[in-house]
Amino acid sequence: MTELFDADTHVAPASFADLAGSLSPYWRDYAAGAALRADPVQASAYPPAMVDGPAPHDLASLRAAVLDAPGPGGARTGTAVLTCTTAFDVSRNHAFEAALCRAVNTWTAQTFLDHEPRARGSVAVPLGDPAAAVAEIEHRAGDPRFVQVLLPVRGHDLRWGHPVFRPVLAAAAAAGLVVTLHAWGRVGSAPTTTGFTHTYLQDYLSHGQVAQSQLVSLVAEGALGALPALRVTVAECGSSWLPPLLWRLDKEWRGIRREVPWVDRPPSRYVREQVRFTTAPIHLPRDPAELRDALDVLGAAELLLHAGDHPHRHGDGAARLLDALDPAGRAAVLHGNAAGWYRGAGAVVPHVPAPAPVRHAPEVPR
Amino acid sequence: MTTIDSTAATTRAPARRRTRTPIVDADIHPVVTPDRLAAALPEPWRRRFLRFGLRGAPPPAVYPRVRHGGMRRDSHPAAGPPGSAVRPPGSDLDLMRSQLLDPYDVVAGVLIPMQGHTAGAEEPAFAAALCRAYNDVLVTDWLDPEPRLRASICIPHESPAEAVAEIERRAADPRFVQVLFPSGTFLPWSDAKYRPIYAAAAAHGLPVAIHLGGTEGHRGDGWPSFYLEQHAWYGNAVAVALTGLVAGGVLEAVPDLQVVLVEGGVSWLPSLLWGLDDAWELCRDDVPWLTRPPSEIVRERLWFTTQPIDEPPVPAHLATTWEQTGMTDRILFSSDYPHWDFDDPITALRVLPAALRRPMAAANAARLYGLTLPGGDDD
Repeated sequence: MTELFDADTHVAPASFADLAGSLSPYWRDYAAGAALRADPVQASAYPPAMVDGPAPHDLASLRAAVLDAPGPGGARTGTAVLTCTTAFDVSRNHAFEAALCRAVNTWTAQTFLDHEPRARGSVAVPLGDPAAAVAEIEHRAGDPRFVQVLLPVRGHDLRWGHPVFRPVLAAAAAAGLVVTLHAWGRVGSAPTTTGFTHTYLQDYLSHGQVAQSQLVSLVAEGALGALPALRVTVAECGSSWLPPLLWRLDKEWRGIRREVPWVDRPPSRYVREQVRFTTAPIHLPRDPAELRDALDVLGAAELLLHAGDHPHRHGDGAARLLDALDPAGRAAVLHGNAAGWYRGAGAVVPHVPAPAPVRHAPEVPR
Repeated sequence: MTTIDSTAATTRAPARRRTRTPIVDADIHPVVTPDRLAAALPEPWRRRFLRFGLRGAPPPAVYPRVRHGGMRRDSHPAAGPPGSAVRPPGSDLDLMRSQLLDPYDVVAGVLIPMQGHTAGAEEPAFAAALCRAYNDVLVTDWLDPEPRLRASICIPHESPAEAVAEIERRAADPRFVQVLFPSGTFLPWSDAKYRPIYAAAAAHGLPVAIHLGGTEGHRGDGWPSFYLEQHAWYGNAVAVALTGLVAGGVLEAVPDLQVVLVEGGVSWLPSLLWGLDDAWELCRDDVPWLTRPPSEIVRERLWFTTQPIDEPPVPAHLATTWEQTGMTDRILFSSDYPHWDFDDPITALRVLPAALRRPMAAANAARLYGLTLPGGDDD
């Protein structure tokens, strides 16, 4: 039976007390004075209806809920990428954010990675200060247990492809770390172009659209092209929206590529080579024939990475996916794709080029 | 390829075909020139317009189109006498006839005056005067001389009371077939502020057509840097907003409202419908007013236009995807004349099987807009 590679399972400190040992006295006092707490709901991201309890905050609960629990088809978990999004929901204070990310990553290492060889870590990085994000990536790059850098799909005023963030992407690529765009993030920034929503449902589904904005940005700004070693995982944002996005993007690129001369291949080629998607959630039709068509159009067996996404609830889309895949496709999604994607664990990590220049200057059109 | 190659000949009017394929074009962009607008404005708005202009930045200023200003190269009317005003694409009815209405057997074309997208967000009284003037010019310069044309009502959409008044003013003219609303608004479409507009449109049996444009705002999705980025993602802006219309209860609150999403694409719809139904099952307590799967509501209330038609690497995937919408009888052909990514009424839909594409050419739109097609041929 295929051993599972779970590309997205959540952990979270139960409170700021869990992080206190990794925060300086100044930031401990700051957090206490502001009555900050490590809220498992993360503002509006994970309300009670959408979770099966809190994310594990210690090794015993992680083992019980994920690592030692039977996965799809009763399979055991061989590797699990731990995602801690506690630092997503923070103030605009970038200095605090940097301290919090450092503490979260240290907590992940000390609580889980030091004791559990099946666990891999995600590097939380401060988004309000790209230089501090680069410093955090470089601080963790030599620790092979960290396999990805975590960016919220709802970010700042600029999309992740913008040159401001290029050093962050370059540092990740140079270290062989996947950059994972994960659902939620700056919930103080509305997910729509026209402001705040009235329902959770709209915020929940908006991640697919916002993820598309980030992929378009990574292509159009030349980030994927300039950093061929960069690998991007889109986590918890869906994936069945991908084909129509690529059709439109390829067509428009053919028409107006003059505007982005550094994009010298059809956008779909960058995306299909350098981007993967987790399976929680995946939105698919219920009719079996339509389902097979949808997976064919998507190229599901090549693009998808299994994610248990404990403790988040997403319905039965992933189960429908696994039922519809053939054995080879199922093995690829449950294990093979991720094992070839993340460093270590048999990954074929591409040759790491020299770090890109800190200042990215698009080539002047000829 | 249906995009216009800039190296093509400067005029591109195809020969008139012997066989008739009636076309209803659901998206044609007229332009009202500043001199025509000024002439139609009463004081003090004429002086305000002439001395202070319009304040909103239209999307082409934010994301410059780098070939021919985003227009078909051959769509620029011939210059007038020396010293006369610039005549932008879309401002000349004769050229529109010779490039679109005549050669393609367009039996009806729906004008979508995008200038209202930004004018409608001006100060309320000024916005009302501007939109009234745009509509007056549409009547005198387009609808009166060309019986094949229909128009969308420009409204001061950020000032609902004035918008409702303009809808009331035009509703008796059957040549105005819908109310125009932009994708870029100050608040989400589902906000209570806009409900009176939807209610007024529905009360007069007019669909609300939501077209891309308006005030450009980005929050958690981040600002794009390039037109490619912004334009390729436009469908997603529409998808986000459609989710809001459904989840925000607008369609339940205004039960007679029909909504046409123009130029936002179609192919993203199946994935969104699957997501809506999955999310609805998980979020029933979040949206207690939704008592049935959202896809059912969308299939009863929404309409879509074809342009820009997608070109998948496996062409058959387009028909597969559009059939998965379960609402191909609510997809309307649109050309987007005179924009650069104009879709040819004859060739653009050929990638689809005939049985699928034929109703999109005219019959679906005739049903929505209450048009009579020649010969009673409804497909």
